[in-house]
Amino acid sequence: MASSKEIAAFLVNGNEYEVIIEPHLLLIDVLRDKLGLTGTKYACGAGDCGACTVLIDGRPSFSCLTLAVTAKGKSILTIEGVAEGNELDPIQQAFVDQGAVQCGFCTPGMILSTKALLDENPEPTRDEIKTALAGNLCRCTGYVKIVDAVEAAAAAMRDGGGR
Amino acid sequence: MTTDAFSEDAFSSVGRRLGRPDVAAKATGAALYGADITLPGMLIGRILMSPHAHARVAKIDVSKAKALPGVAAVITYDDVPKRGFTRSVMAEGLPSFAYEGENQDQFILSDKARYIGDWMAAVAAVDVYTAERALDLIEVEYEVLPAVFDPEEALEDGAPAVHDGWKDNVAGIIDHPFNRGDIEAALAASAHVVEFSGRNSRQKQAHMEPDVAIASWDSQGRLTVWSPCQNAHLAKKAMGRRVFDIGEGNVRWITPAVGGGFGARLSFGVEPVAAMLAKVAGKPVKVVVTREEDFNGWNSRTEQRQTIRIGVTEDGTINAIEQNVLSDAGAYFSHSGTISAVNMQSTLGVFRSPVVRGKATMVYTNNPTSSGMRGYGNPEGSFILQQAVDMAAEKCGMNPVEFRLKNAKGVGEPSMWEPQNLTSCALPACVEQGAEAIGWKDKWQGWGVEKQGRYRRGVGMSIMTHASGAGGFLLEHSTAVIKLNEDGSAQLSVSPCEMGQGILGTLSQIAAEATGLRYENIRVVTGDTDVTLFDIGTHASRSTYAIGNAVLDAGKKVRAAILHRAARRMDLFPEELGVRDGMVYAKADPGITISVADISREAIYDYGTDAEHIMATGKHQCVMHCPNFQAGFAEIEVDVETGVIKVLRLVIAHDIGRAINPLTVEGCLEGGAAQGLGYALTEDLVIDRQTGKVVSDSFATYKILSSLDMPEVEIILVEEPDPTGPFGAKGVGETGITNVAPSIANALYDAVGIRVHSLPMTPEKVLGALEATGPSTRPGPSARLSVAIGEVQARKAVPYS
Repeated sequence: MASSKEIAAFLVNGNEYEVIIEPHLLLIDVLRDKLGLTGTKYACGAGDCGACTVLIDGRPSFSCLTLAVTAKGKSILTIEGVAEGNELDPIQQAFVDQGAVQCGFCTPGMILSTKALLDENPEPTRDEIKTALAGNLCRCTGYVKIVDAVEAAAAAMRDGGGR
Repeated sequence: MTTDAFSEDAFSSVGRRLGRPDVAAKATGAALYGADITLPGMLIGRILMSPHAHARVAKIDVSKAKALPGVAAVITYDDVPKRGFTRSVMAEGLPSFAYEGENQDQFILSDKARYIGDWMAAVAAVDVYTAERALDLIEVEYEVLPAVFDPEEALEDGAPAVHDGWKDNVAGIIDHPFNRGDIEAALAASAHVVEFSGRNSRQKQAHMEPDVAIASWDSQGRLTVWSPCQNAHLAKKAMGRRVFDIGEGNVRWITPAVGGGFGARLSFGVEPVAAMLAKVAGKPVKVVVTREEDFNGWNSRTEQRQTIRIGVTEDGTINAIEQNVLSDAGAYFSHSGTISAVNMQSTLGVFRSPVVRGKATMVYTNNPTSSGMRGYGNPEGSFILQQAVDMAAEKCGMNPVEFRLKNAKGVGEPSMWEPQNLTSCALPACVEQGAEAIGWKDKWQGWGVEKQGRYRRGVGMSIMTHASGAGGFLLEHSTAVIKLNEDGSAQLSVSPCEMGQGILGTLSQIAAEATGLRYENIRVVTGDTDVTLFDIGTHASRSTYAIGNAVLDAGKKVRAAILHRAARRMDLFPEELGVRDGMVYAKADPGITISVADISREAIYDYGTDAEHIMATGKHQCVMHCPNFQAGFAEIEVDVETGVIKVLRLVIAHDIGRAINPLTVEGCLEGGAAQGLGYALTEDLVIDRQTGKVVSDSFATYKILSSLDMPEVEIILVEEPDPTGPFGAKGVGETGITNVAPSIANALYDAVGIRVHSLPMTPEKVLGALEATGPSTRPGPSARLSVAIGEVQARKAVPYS
């Protein structure tokens, strides 16, 4: 086992990290266990629920199904990299204001899927929002206020709140 | 509670859609849930789960696992205290005479597997991979025993005994405490009698955060546990007095951020295993589980098979109701008794009836252990009751709306907990406004109207009453501490479980209103039994009502202390002062003010003889609570070719008393509606009846709704303040789920004239029932399946594949 270890470089939230990894290691393990970025959540381990969603080169990806070796050198955005310092991103602010966060366990993945959507489509319809979030399960909200929040975030970003 | 001090017109915090104090951290990833916590030297624990539904351990050899480098502890039945306990932590709130009916039928680990997934051994190792390898090295020889998976078969002579102490598999019997009259005579004397039988599914709580616990013992033998438990103070007692014999004072319970509960956290999860491993290893241990293990495991809604009979007079007055419940406890007793009792209270407690009889039997099987889930008996009973009620209305030729209003209880009549009378009831307004919103007058066309075409629409309704606390049944004791800071902010110390429902914000709004401080200046201290005073915890939709009353009590005392000191400072009487948004003012001249910060700072930094740290404790204790009410309506469209039910619209009108924060109340009801829709149409823990294996053990096979599956949901909040609630508030947390399945079931009857007797109402069952009613209801030759309604065969197929 020891011989298959390697030192791998990862670009996470704009920071470069060097991590000792083994071939079986998943990206979620690197983020949570090696880098201490515990905002990325493990909930199913099977790609069914989306709680572990991160953006890899801007695309939403299940970090629980992604082998760490495949993410080397790519730009990874986790929930910890969404806010600008202590300033919430407009998406985060909208989730807080609209009551879109209940237990919060799906929230990081939900916010990253929303970011990927709004980066591509700044003015989505409610149906487009529901489609974009269909891979992120929420057990608390019934999605009503999450869709409200995405609409509010899109409006705020169009009004110049985005970055 | 609208008094001089709290004028409804001038609320500054109550009734506002304010953001919650805990959610910014959840939106940035900063919030720490159990799995996110790492202690120095911490080990990872994993549990060896039985592959057999019923088997005795003939031999277990852990020597190879112990020898694996990195393994610090391996434990089996031989290593655990032989102290029986029940998994239900909530049961610690029962009075002692009732607690004796809770079977103490579990140890931390077992020497006999009673379901697939039962806990036989556990390991603690340096990391999860090593722990997994150690599990593989444990050698177990099982003596496989005959198993039973059906609660009715479990009651037959010669059925395998799941527990040696309960040879007949009868885990308990409960007679409804408010039985009265001669049921057979009353039914015989009725103009019409209807009977309806069926069963609910084993709905999974399916909280997004998998179960987890961390345990650590200090050098003094004191145990600290971190886990997402809904009743931390009761868990402290259960761990200190039942699982171990160390006393409550030697247990500290910390509740991190909780990723959903829905009743699952009313029970011990892996905490006792974590504590045992940590004790043996001499290091902190975090026990983790997989989603598959959770689905196979130790929590789900209890499956209850029920029959309800209702007798009515010619004019549509209910004169007798009878309910029989058969509860499948699964392998261990858990919540099967208390949930049966609450089912009967809520089911038999909605309608006025001179004669009432209820009886529940709890049965052991080799199915996974069941427990309580959101609604706690109410969604189980309502699915049967509300269909029977529609059948009775049809017999009388009455509109379902009018039949319900005629028979539902109102103010001054006994509540669901009968010794108490209702102090408020906005049910009539809920029914009226809900019916208006769904368009009942136009859409409900009367009984027996046959609809045509492939897609047939229908509307249905349901009403319910639900607890705002468990007064009369369980202990009702909540406390709150409010402590002023020098700068005029305050610490609010309370011990609910914030599992997403928004209770910390709600209690902060009550604290702000009661003290006269700004909402932004209330800082919540919670989640640690060493810091908070006693609270029974979060269940029974009680936290706003019960803990809210404790906060109101403490807040009023702090307000009085502020005004007392301000009066001396301002040379006025306290009665001449008000306090709002952190400023004390003279009522006669609001321009004369002094800040709470000045009062508080001067009280602490008093260089004379009158120093005071302004603080107060508040308490809520009662045997009384005012239940809430709700009316639910559904409009659906049924495809008679495929059996698919499409829900077009749901309306939920809730008797909230006062919405302390309408945003969070709506969120609770919308989320409850989503779970209710899953309960109605898709969610079922499918168990293979040959092996006892859970077939639907992932989110791919156990279908909870996604954003694309949600129909339009309209929430109506009816505010008629209750005189006993904080600012008039009543409970809401669990209730959004309850009316959904029965209102869809009644809409199904309106649309196509069939009744489905078991949940979920899958296309297969709808088609089966359509076939049974004969070809006239069907436009063409049909269908591939003929699944008997409510039969066990329906469970062999995965109905949503």
